[in-house]
Amino acid sequence: MAKTNIVNKLFASGPLFLLYYLSISEIDTNLEKLFEVFSLNLQIIIIYFWIIKRPNLMGPGHIFSAGLINDVVMGFPLGISSLSYLVVCFVGNYVRNKSVNTTIASDWFTFLVALLFANLVFFSLLNNFSEVGISYTKIGYNTFFTLFLFPVFWLLFNLYQMSFVGSQDA
Amino acid sequence: MSVSRDDFSIAFRSALLQRGATQKFSILSLIILAIFIFFLDVYGFTLVKTARSFINDVVYRVTYLASAPTRLFPSINKGVASHFNLKKENEELRKVIEKYKSIDLNLEYISNENKNLKKVLDTEDVQSVSNVVLAKVLIDRNSPFLKSIIINKGSKEGIIKGMPVTQNKYLVGRIVETNYLSSRVLLLNDLNSRIPVTFDEKSTQAILTGGGTRNPTLSYLPEDYEFEEDVTVFASGKDGIFSAGTPIGKTKNNGEVTLFVDPNQLSFVTVNLIKPRKEVF
Repeated sequence: MAKTNIVNKLFASGPLFLLYYLSISEIDTNLEKLFEVFSLNLQIIIIYFWIIKRPNLMGPGHIFSAGLINDVVMGFPLGISSLSYLVVCFVGNYVRNKSVNTTIASDWFTFLVALLFANLVFFSLLNNFSEVGISYTKIGYNTFFTLFLFPVFWLLFNLYQMSFVGSQDA
Repeated sequence: MSVSRDDFSIAFRSALLQRGATQKFSILSLIILAIFIFFLDVYGFTLVKTARSFINDVVYRVTYLASAPTRLFPSINKGVASHFNLKKENEELRKVIEKYKSIDLNLEYISNENKNLKKVLDTEDVQSVSNVVLAKVLIDRNSPFLKSIIINKGSKEGIIKGMPVTQNKYLVGRIVETNYLSSRVLLLNDLNSRIPVTFDEKSTQAILTGGGTRNPTLSYLPEDYEFEEDVTVFASGKDGIFSAGTPIGKTKNNGEVTLFVDPNQLSFVTVNLIKPRKEVF
C-alpha cells in the first residue's frame, strides 16, 4: 500500500519534474536544424494544462522557481520568466474558477488569452527595461507554434493524467 | 448585471489570492516578488550582481549535470543506426557490435570528447600561448531568441566582458557575462551581435549583423555593392575588441556569411585574454 502511494506520488510529480527539467537542462524546443522557424514554449503549455486540470500538482511557488532557473540558463533578467509563467497561472486559475466543465476547444481558446498576456508581459518588460534585443518575427513564430501545438500536448497530458494521475478534474 | 460583475470580481480575486491546501504562496505575492527581483536585477545593484553571479555558477553546473543524458542520446542514436546497417551485412557481426556498443557507450562518449580536446590543443597550440584560456562549453541551449553558450571559465581565469572567443582560430563570438567560474558567450548569429569586418581585395568595410538566424548578414556596405560568393570575411579590429584579421566565414550571394564554425556544434572554445581597448557595454 505504501509502495503504491510512493509510485502514485512519483507519477503525480511528473509534470512538475518535467517543468523543472525543461527549465534547467539543455533540452530546447527550438528545432531550427530541422525547420528554421520552429520554436515552442513547452513550459507555458505544461503550466496552463496542469493549472486547469490539477492545480494541486503545480504550485505557484514551483512555477516561480522554475521561471527563475529558466532566466538564469537563458540569460534573461531575473524574474521575467517567473512573471510570465505566473500570468499564465493566474489566467488558468481564473478560467478554472469561472468554468464548470472544460473541453479541448475551450481550453485551447482560453490558452490563447493566457499566451497573449504572458508574451505581452515578457516582451514588453524585455523591450523596455533590458538591453537584450529580440526579433519580433521569432516571437510571432514561437507564439503561433505554441498555440498550434497546444491540442497535441493537451491530448498527451490528458492521457498521462488518466493513466497515471487519475481522471478526476479539479 | 451586478451579479455578473460580482462573479467576475470573485473569480478574479480568488485566482490572485487563493492558496490551495498544499500551496504556501498566493499568485499575487509571487508576482510582486518577481517584479521586485526583476527591477533589482535590471537596475544592477552590486549586491544583486554578486548574488546573480553566484546563482549563475551554481545553476550552470547543475544544468551541465542535468543535460548529461541529452548529450549521451546522440551517441546512442548513432549506435542504433550502425547496428541496423550491419544487420544487413552480417547477423553475427551485428550481435557482437551491439554487445560491444552497449558496453562501451560511455567509453565512446568520453573518447570522442578527448579527441575533440586534443584536436583543439593541436590546432591552437594552447600550451605555447599564455594569453589564451581553453574552455569547455557547459550549456548550449538553442533558444529561439538568444544565441549564446555558457563556458566553464570565468573571472577566476581573468576573463572579462568583451573578450573575443575563437575555435580553431576562427571567431565564434564574445564574452557578454562573467561569473567567477563561468561565462556567457554571445554568438555571431545572435540578434544583438554587431562586428566590424573587412573582406575582398578592396578591403571593403562592413558590419556583420546577427539576425537570430543560422547565418549573420553583412550590412552598412558601400552603395551598389555586389556580393561575390566565397570571399573570406575577417574581423577588422576597428572596434578595439577583436583582433584584426581573425577569420569569420565566407560570403554568399545574398549577403549572408557562412560561418567557419557552426555555432550549434561547439564543444571547446578558446577565450583570448585581450583586454578590450574600450568599454563594450
